[in-house]
Amino acid sequence: MTQAAATAVPDSQPGPAIRVRELRKDFGPVTALHGIDLEVAPGELTVLLGLSGSGKSTLLRCLNGLNPITAGEATVLGQPVHGMTSREMRKLRSRIGFIFQHFNLVGRLTCLENVLIGASGRISGPRYGILSYSRAQRREALTHLSRVGLGQHAFQRADSLSGGQQQRVAIARALMQKPELILADEPVASLDPENAANVMDLLFQICLEKRITVLCTLHQVDLAMHWAHRIVGLRDGEKVLDSSTATLSREDVLNVYKQLQPEAAPDGTTA
Amino acid sequence: MKTATKPAAEPSESPGNQAPDFNHAVRPPFSRERFVLWIALAAIAGLTVLSARQIDFDLRALGGGFDDVANLLERMLPPELDNPPRVGELLVETLMMALLGTVLATIISIPLAFLAASNTTPHPAVQHAARMVITMCRAIPDLVFAVLFVRALGIGVLPGILALGLHSVGMMAKLFADAIEQIDEGPRDAVRATGAGRLTELVSAVLPQVMPAWIGTFIYRVDINLRTSVVLGFVGAGGIGFALQDALRGLMYQSAMGIILVILLIIAAMEYLAVGLRRTLLDPASDGAAAPAIPGPSVRPPWTKGRTIRALCAAATLAAVVVSLIHLGIDPLAPIKQFTDLVTVFGRLLPPSAEGLEGALLKAVGETLAIGLVATASGAALAIPFGVLAARNVSPSGFIYHSARAVILAVRAIPELILAVIFVAAIGLGPMAGAMALGVGTIGFLGKLVADSVEEISGGPLEAVRAAGGGWWDVLFAAVIPQALPQLTGHWLYMLDVNIRTSTVLGIVGAGGIGFLLMESVRTLNFDVAGSIILIIFFIVFAIERLSAWISRLFR
Ligand SMILES: Nc1ncnc2c1ncn2[C@@H]1O[C@H](COP(=O)(O)OP(=O)(O)O)[C@@H](O)[C@H]1O
Ligand SMILES: [Mg+2]
Repeated sequence: MTQAAATAVPDSQPGPAIRVRELRKDFGPVTALHGIDLEVAPGELTVLLGLSGSGKSTLLRCLNGLNPITAGEATVLGQPVHGMTSREMRKLRSRIGFIFQHFNLVGRLTCLENVLIGASGRISGPRYGILSYSRAQRREALTHLSRVGLGQHAFQRADSLSGGQQQRVAIARALMQKPELILADEPVASLDPENAANVMDLLFQICLEKRITVLCTLHQVDLAMHWAHRIVGLRDGEKVLDSSTATLSREDVLNVYKQLQPEAAPDGTTA
Repeated sequence: MKTATKPAAEPSESPGNQAPDFNHAVRPPFSRERFVLWIALAAIAGLTVLSARQIDFDLRALGGGFDDVANLLERMLPPELDNPPRVGELLVETLMMALLGTVLATIISIPLAFLAASNTTPHPAVQHAARMVITMCRAIPDLVFAVLFVRALGIGVLPGILALGLHSVGMMAKLFADAIEQIDEGPRDAVRATGAGRLTELVSAVLPQVMPAWIGTFIYRVDINLRTSVVLGFVGAGGIGFALQDALRGLMYQSAMGIILVILLIIAAMEYLAVGLRRTLLDPASDGAAAPAIPGPSVRPPWTKGRTIRALCAAATLAAVVVSLIHLGIDPLAPIKQFTDLVTVFGRLLPPSAEGLEGALLKAVGETLAIGLVATASGAALAIPFGVLAARNVSPSGFIYHSARAVILAVRAIPELILAVIFVAAIGLGPMAGAMALGVGTIGFLGKLVADSVEEISGGPLEAVRAAGGGWWDVLFAAVIPQALPQLTGHWLYMLDVNIRTSTVLGIVGAGGIGFLLMESVRTLNFDVAGSIILIIFFIVFAIERLSAWISRLFR
């Protein structure tokens, strides 16, 4: 395995943001992850590549406890994810922004309300309706919405926006958490190429600016090569690539997408 | 929403580092929709409070009422079943009434549906008239029909069957017609192209397509009619309700409880049977590859497994109908032979008049609406939490999920009028008993609707709130309620509609509302008064239906 080049890591704080050792995840008889090792330094922007079904989503969801871990360990932002109380888990999650492929906005609510939902983890007591949030919180949400270029859509229903705009609202929702880490699961997989590039540029720009650590799954190799400090490849639940982008060629990356290694193809079907 | 969907293209604004745009405030702008919504909510809340006052319904009375019911239940235990053969006989009679009533409704509904469906009606005027007849059947409650028919034909099962039959037409013919309107016109054109006659066209191209929907409707309606046929005895229209009323009048509470348990058992069994039948009869997989009707002169599908099962069930139903007719001693042509009796009773309702009774009628109408509103509001206060806890995707634990489902199922099995007689026996005659009965019934009915629609909401936003560190309450308020709100509003209005409908007949068992005056006027042969009461009930039901259609459009 190639070591991550030190020059690519912008911040050299002590302790990695994510540290995964021998992480294994089973869904009943199916093993989705076979012992993954991974370290992500604070402020580092890492892209996770791999065919669908290779375990990318599972890995991300293990990191914020949406999927419980079967074996091994994962330490995120200094906290071991396994064996937490649900209270500690919520506290940790509130420090991690999660961006979903299908945005997961509440379509009937306004954009501003959707952004305010990002504050659920840090304010106590459930809220209902814009006016149940403090003025300061509403202002803060509006700032984030403006940051993603949607300030003027604050009071429009989320489901009246285009896909790209909806994902930007979801980014603003994650920013509302004041996250130290953002996990993004194929954030642009349901967008057209142009919107996909715009949204990715926006997300990565903001994260670099705010020094937010990012672990993002992506299918666009060029975007990954352009933005990521590091690229990690998964295949069938195993890590097959982990390298600083600076030392990688496009071919190295595309290799991750080769369905089966020739010697590993028992029935001779290659992609 | 007046802000229509934007084109899918990204706007040209640059999502760069521009300063936050604070040109507008952080308050939502005024929206007419929101305004109307709040006015509507305030109006409903105000009316509910007024209604509660009118029927002396408050928390203290409610607590006392439940104490009385607890006392009564204590006296009802342990349940007894005296004279089991008689109860068994009445039970069989009840089941047969439900079946024959539904069959009668089907026979009337089929031609009516063809006349009422826009694609098969011979003329728009005919369609209009047919739809009108259907609406009228729906707007007159089955028990109102029963009271009239008992007067015309005397005590017995025939009035009960006719009442179930006529009222069911309101639902069955409408659903039948809707199914006809949804058919694929292709096969029909093909049959017509062969030069076939109109009847051939309907039978060989339309019937096969609507059959599954019709069968589903039939099974559904048998289930509903069984719930009514257990209480038809209260007005002398046959069935087990008669024995229950006897036991309660004779203060034989333990045997009343025995009968109630038998009733619940048979209703639960029927529900099971209905679910099973729907699953086996309407399973498209059992038709194999031959499922789509092949257009052309030979539109007869082959004998697949599904078709065999359907044929067997049809034969069994036919046999059951024949056995029922023989057992109950009913001449299938009785409705026609006694047509004059029926027409006479309806004739005597005209012209409706209410001289000297205007005040009493007005008060009774107010009471009917008040019962419906109070029952819906108070019942919903429990039904909505229960429903949320009974939704698999939101319920905090498996244990809570199963318990909440069990409560809802148990309450749902009890027909409202049975609840009403229990509450009348416990706390005495009057609207309070009716409101409590309907309120309890609401927990079962609305609870199930709420649980089912909460289970249908999209799970993504729930996960997003959890991923942001939100707890159970945050998920509930941020993702569940906002998503389910239109459905919840719709269900609430539907429940109000159902409760007001039911409260028009609660008076039959002395639980308040206009039904009492109806019973009295028919008993004292004041048919003109009965006529105006039926007219009033018709208009109440009709108005509520229009109103809830209008409001649910607003809330979308
Ligand atoms: N909730 C689940 N239940 C069962 N199997 C799952 C579940 N989630 C993922 N899997 C399985 O785990 C494997 C990895 O899936 P996933 O992490 O979604 O891959 P990717 O995100 O790379 O497409 C797949 O074989 C998938 O079928
Ligand atoms: Mg995935």
